[in-house]
This record gives sequence, C-alpha cells and structure tokens, in this order.
Amino acid sequence: MTTDTRLRLTLLGGYLGSGKTTWLRHQLHVGGFGPRVHVVVNEAAETPVDDALLVGAVGMTLLAGGCCCCAGRVDLVAALRGLCDARSRVSADEVRLERIVLETSGLADPAAIVDAIQSDPVLVNHIVIDETIVAVDALHALAQLATEPLGRRQVGAADRIVLTKTGACTPGALAMLRATLATLNGHASMAGAELGVEVAMAELPAGLVAAVLPDLTGEDARGPILPTQVVLPDGLDWSAFTLWLSALLYARGDDLVRVKGVVRTPAGRLLLQTVRKVVQSPEILPDQGENRSDDVIVFIGRGYRPDDLGRSLTRFLSGAARPA
Amino acid sequence: MCNACGNPAVPGHWTEAGAATPGDRLRARFHRARVLDAILRPYGLTAHDGGVVPGIQVGTMAGASSIVQNLSEVWAEAERLNGTPIDPLDPRYLNDD
Repeated sequence: MTTDTRLRLTLLGGYLGSGKTTWLRHQLHVGGFGPRVHVVVNEAAETPVDDALLVGAVGMTLLAGGCCCCAGRVDLVAALRGLCDARSRVSADEVRLERIVLETSGLADPAAIVDAIQSDPVLVNHIVIDETIVAVDALHALAQLATEPLGRRQVGAADRIVLTKTGACTPGALAMLRATLATLNGHASMAGAELGVEVAMAELPAGLVAAVLPDLTGEDARGPILPTQVVLPDGLDWSAFTLWLSALLYARGDDLVRVKGVVRTPAGRLLLQTVRKVVQSPEILPDQGENRSDDVIVFIGRGYRPDDLGRSLTRFLSGAARPA
Repeated sequence: MCNACGNPAVPGHWTEAGAATPGDRLRARFHRARVLDAILRPYGLTAHDGGVVPGIQVGTMAGASSIVQNLSEVWAEAERLNGTPIDPLDPRYLNDD
C-alpha cells in the first residue's frame, strides 16, 4: 500500500460576495476540515477585511493586494512553498500540518490557481489539490451567470458547489438555478448552506428546464471589475455615510458588485458588506484595539473612475454638514 | 403592528445600525432626516421626519410629499420626483464636467 503524505489543499472559490468567508468561518468553527488546518486567504484589494473573521485555523496567511490567479500568483506560490518547507522539517511521525484551505478572491479563476500549483516544480511534489469548492450565491447567481464569464468559469471548476443564501430564494428560482448550474458543470455535487450551516435541498422536479444563458464570448465593453479603497475620515458621521452609500447603491448597484469594510461607530466596530444592491445587516465585531483595516472601505466594481468614490464621499459629507 | 399608523416600524434597516437604545434611535432618525434634507435641497426636494409615525416624508418645494419607509425607498422616491436618480458619482455633482 502506498500512502500519499503530501499536504491536502482545498480550494475555495466563488464570485464576489457569494459567501465564501461566511461558509469557511462556520466550517472552521465545527472542524469541517479536520485538525491542523492552515488557511490562506487572498484578497484582491490591498486592505484585507476577512483576516479579522477567521479563527479556528492553526495558522493563517493573508495575501492581499492582488488576485492570486494572476497578479498575485508569485506571492501565492511563495506562501505555499513556505508552508511546504516548514512542514517538511517536521517528521511524518509527529503532529504536523495536514491541510491548507485556500480562500481565493472573488475575482479569481480557480482553474488558473490549480494550474499555478501544478506547474510549480516544488509545489506539485508537496501538495495535492483534493477538492475545489465553489460558493454560489443563490440569490444573484443567475444574473451573474448571464453577464459574467468569470462566474461561469468558477462554476465550471467546482468539484462541489455550495449554494448560499438559499433561504432568501423562492423554491422555483432555486430549482431553476440548480438545473442551470448542472448544465454548466454536470459532475459537481451540490449542497445548500445558510450562514455556513448545511441545509437540505428538495429533490429536483422532473422535466425542469434550465435557464438559457447568453453567449459571452465577446469582449466585455463595461471594462474590468477593479477594487478601490476609500479611507473614511476621522469622526465620520455614520448617518451621512449611510445616506451616501444608500444613494450610491441605488444609482450604481448594478455596477458596484461588492462593498466591504469595517466602520468604527460609537456603537462599536461595524462590519459592512453589500452585494450589488443588497446590504447585509451590519455585524458588530469585537473590539481588537487599533486595527489597521478599520475605517477603510473596499469597493469592487466598474463603470466609474475609482478616484471619484472618495471625492464623492468627501463632497457628500461636506454638503451634509452645511445647514439647510 | 398597527395597520393605521404602522407603528412600531419594521426593525433593522441596515442604516439604523449603531443606535442601540430607543433614545439613540430617535436622535439618529432626526439627525438623518436633517442631513438628508440638506442633501436633497439642491435638487429642489425636501425631507422631514417628525418622529411620530415611522417613515420619512420626501417632498418637493411645491408641496407634494409622500412617506417612505427607509433610505432605499427615499432614493427611489427622489428619482421619481427629480426625474433622474440622485447619483453621487454624477460628473455634474462632482463639478468636473
């Protein structure tokens, strides 16, 4: 019998705001990946937010400032080599790292990451990619799949699809989405999850017709989706900020695919997250003293000049401060 | 919920996060309405929250007004009254067209 002693790697992908971190947080909490897991988180923006959320792993590496399927590829390979190197110094008889979970950025193509690992002469001998899990937002996926080639590539790369936010979706829409996903990727298993907890899904009705997705082979005229950071001013007026953000989401929600950040308010540190026009109820995070990523909001979208976001907020806040 | 006046309001619109006590919430409502009014005035619109019934009154200088439940609805109503959405990234708003 041969035993493969290589490190196992689970790749966790999924579109921006699909619920990857929420799902991962819960899996780490319940020990879904077993003991001795190291988490590698990649965020496309320079200011990480997710690192504050993941506890339960034995270690965490954060790769910020570039999506690791393209611009951040070198950093990813270096980080994984570092983990392999540290592990190879520990004898196989001792307690050592068993698994890496790599949470990709929402802009990553999982297939490109698999390629990066398998084409590296060191990593290919130390790491086995044993599963690619892709989170799919049941509420927004059909719209994304109709317009985003990346969303389709992510689904196509999955061994397992985790459908998130299923409770917010009607049974008919959910069934149609599942049928559509099956046409994009027939071999992946599918499971539902609400806030990371697995939920049972009904049998698919017979004769269900999948949605017809348009051909997306041409170049996207709307330009690439890019991250932009906006630093919030000291003593931010939360009310004025929510007015600005709600106006922005109302006017630009289709272009602004994701907004994420931690805002310091008198009530505590609020984790703010949006997906298109949907804003999640802000979660109050525990105080962790001075945190470098507080009061920085990351906007991921297109159809605007990145500099305009900060200028608009400044202008809005100064207009709000003027007496009527 | 009272079907005449709608009180108490549906809890938990995201913009209300951070105000824990009823007093804080009421103060936040008044403050938000004042700020919103200052923002809408250049568009010829007004906003008012009397604090008695849930909702925000959005109106025109000519006196037409309606009550909306939350900020997402405020912008939809402002678009209806203004003719176009109030877009914080509009070049005219940013003064650089």
